[in-house]
Amino acid sequence: MIEFRSVSYAFEDVSVLEDVSLTIEDGEFGLLAGANGSGKTTLLRHCNGLLTPDSGEVLVDGTPVSDDLIAARSSVGMVFQHPRDQFVSATVGADVAFGPENLGLERAEIDRRVDAALEAVNMAGREDDRIDTLSGGEQSRVAIAGALAMDPSHLVLDEPFTGLDEPARRSVLERLAALSADGTGVLLATHDLRDVLTLADRVIAMRDGQVAADGSPDDALEDLAGLEVRVPDR
Amino acid sequence: MLTYEPDETLAHRLDPRSKLAVQIGFAATALAHPTPRALLVLSAVTVVVLAAARVSLRRTVIAYRYALVVLAIAPVLAGVTIGSPWFDRADALTSGLASYRVLLILLVSAAYVRSTPVRDSRAAIQRTIPGKPGQLLGIGIALVFRFLPVLQGDLRTIREAMAARLGTERGTIDRISTVGMLGLTRAFDRADRLSLALRARCFAWNPTLPPLAFSRLDYPVLAFALCLALSAFY
Amino acid sequence: MATERNSVELVDDDAVRSFARAAVLAALMGAAAVVGSIPIPLSPVPISLGVLVVYLMGLYLGPYWGTVSIGLYLTAGAIGIPVFANGTAGIGVLIGETGGYLWAYPLAVILIGLAVHGTDDLADPADTSTPVIAAVLLAALIVIYGLGTAWLGYVLELGAIEALQLAVVPFVPGDLLKIVAAIAIVKAGRIDPT
Repeated sequence: MIEFRSVSYAFEDVSVLEDVSLTIEDGEFGLLAGANGSGKTTLLRHCNGLLTPDSGEVLVDGTPVSDDLIAARSSVGMVFQHPRDQFVSATVGADVAFGPENLGLERAEIDRRVDAALEAVNMAGREDDRIDTLSGGEQSRVAIAGALAMDPSHLVLDEPFTGLDEPARRSVLERLAALSADGTGVLLATHDLRDVLTLADRVIAMRDGQVAADGSPDDALEDLAGLEVRVPDR
Repeated sequence: MLTYEPDETLAHRLDPRSKLAVQIGFAATALAHPTPRALLVLSAVTVVVLAAARVSLRRTVIAYRYALVVLAIAPVLAGVTIGSPWFDRADALTSGLASYRVLLILLVSAAYVRSTPVRDSRAAIQRTIPGKPGQLLGIGIALVFRFLPVLQGDLRTIREAMAARLGTERGTIDRISTVGMLGLTRAFDRADRLSLALRARCFAWNPTLPPLAFSRLDYPVLAFALCLALSAFY
Repeated sequence: MATERNSVELVDDDAVRSFARAAVLAALMGAAAVVGSIPIPLSPVPISLGVLVVYLMGLYLGPYWGTVSIGLYLTAGAIGIPVFANGTAGIGVLIGETGGYLWAYPLAVILIGLAVHGTDDLADPADTSTPVIAAVLLAALIVIYGLGTAWLGYVLELGAIEALQLAVVPFVPGDLLKIVAAIAIVKAGRIDPT
């Protein structure tokens, strides 16, 4: 469970988040929608302590993030835009192992997690592939596997479809749907809502650093009008 | 280009630390003894080392061609005198022998390069150098290996963009500073995104170390390296 | 699981950022060794951007992280990543005839880093006056030439003049241009070191 309690945050005197309160339940598939600059990225980066609120508090599983960064970062796996800048190793297997190695796990457990994570993103058996030989969609999926290897209860993704062609985008979405079906919570920030609304349990719309709407995908379509997000063609 | 190639040779099965020891022992004794007799023995050692790693002499010579040009010019430069006798054969011979030993040192290190994946070198570094320096160096070289092709791509893009906008007409200083500035800006942008990913994946000072162990094969090789190093003193 | 995690010692957020920059600049130096060269008029030797990146490491990473960066570059090359001139690698290059230049790079970075930033937090190099930057980059270049020539002379059994002819003279025009280019980059003030 990720809980925001009256979180405000400013960057260089410009308010980016204003008094945001929000609870993301375990196993929930949430969409974070909103135009560029609406505060989506800033909100996400508070979930695992990459940013610290100016006021208010963020809790993961009931513990303030700042009290236990390691627990928060293990529990909330994060995938950023530009997957090619997120890899720490030149080969797939070594990269996915990076998170669990940092947690100091036994080698056998690390290997088990790497296998499971690659399996979950349809990249099983590709451990020795070089990352710079992968397609954009494959790179995105390996970045997701890197987060999954931390064994998180939530997977948070910031605009993961940027730069992906349509088949690659669909391959990532399909994996997210499968993860969600297996019980992993997914929080997906995107300004492109095509195909994703049917997967989501909930849509949170951001505008000017505040939650402008929060509800089921059916209600969301009306609320989203005027938020500069790309909605499904009707 | 001279890089690691997967293979099943003797050298590929050795621990990187043994291979490192051989190179250092070899270089020490080659630097200490630029004599025809010693170089004959060391040539034989080089042939064995190259065979043990199945190094292609032709490709290695091509890879080091610029260095070899300097090695070839040096004895000529050493021999030429202004005024009689115009060419001092003794000086040229001394320099020629010295150049030849450098060639041998280069060839021996080529055997390490061909037979050692970056992953193994990284493991050797993290297991040999204790504490924070070992961890920084180990993860650091993994990052260099990962980002090298990415930044080569950046530099190519920058140069092509400059050429497309009549960049070749501009002054040399202008061109160098533009490439330098754009290259540095992009590198820092990538580094800042990378640092978020490192933090999200719990980048730690005390991770589980990559696996690496000496095999029975390594002990005679280490003993041989020790003999080489000791022979530097005789 | 909880007890295992308690022993994890996270790298400081600030250190992670500096380290990432140091590693990526080391990779930039390696990339410049292969694709960076620019032909210059009236010189047989094209300019490799390598030494420019050495200057930038000192100027933008400071003495501490700049040294980490150049150390990563040298180690990466030693273990076989093709980052040395013309995409070569191997310990042999560090010991071979151009090894002196490579070993001088860390000294050059420390010299530049200390002169521009001191031992405290990173400063903006644009705040350092142009003559001071020019002088310190020139001093760094002299250190590089000095060690480079001395080692080349020793390892190839050449006299000082011969070593200078082989290892310094052809490169002087390009290296001076790189100093001017580095100053232009700093004075444009568009890159934030912090």
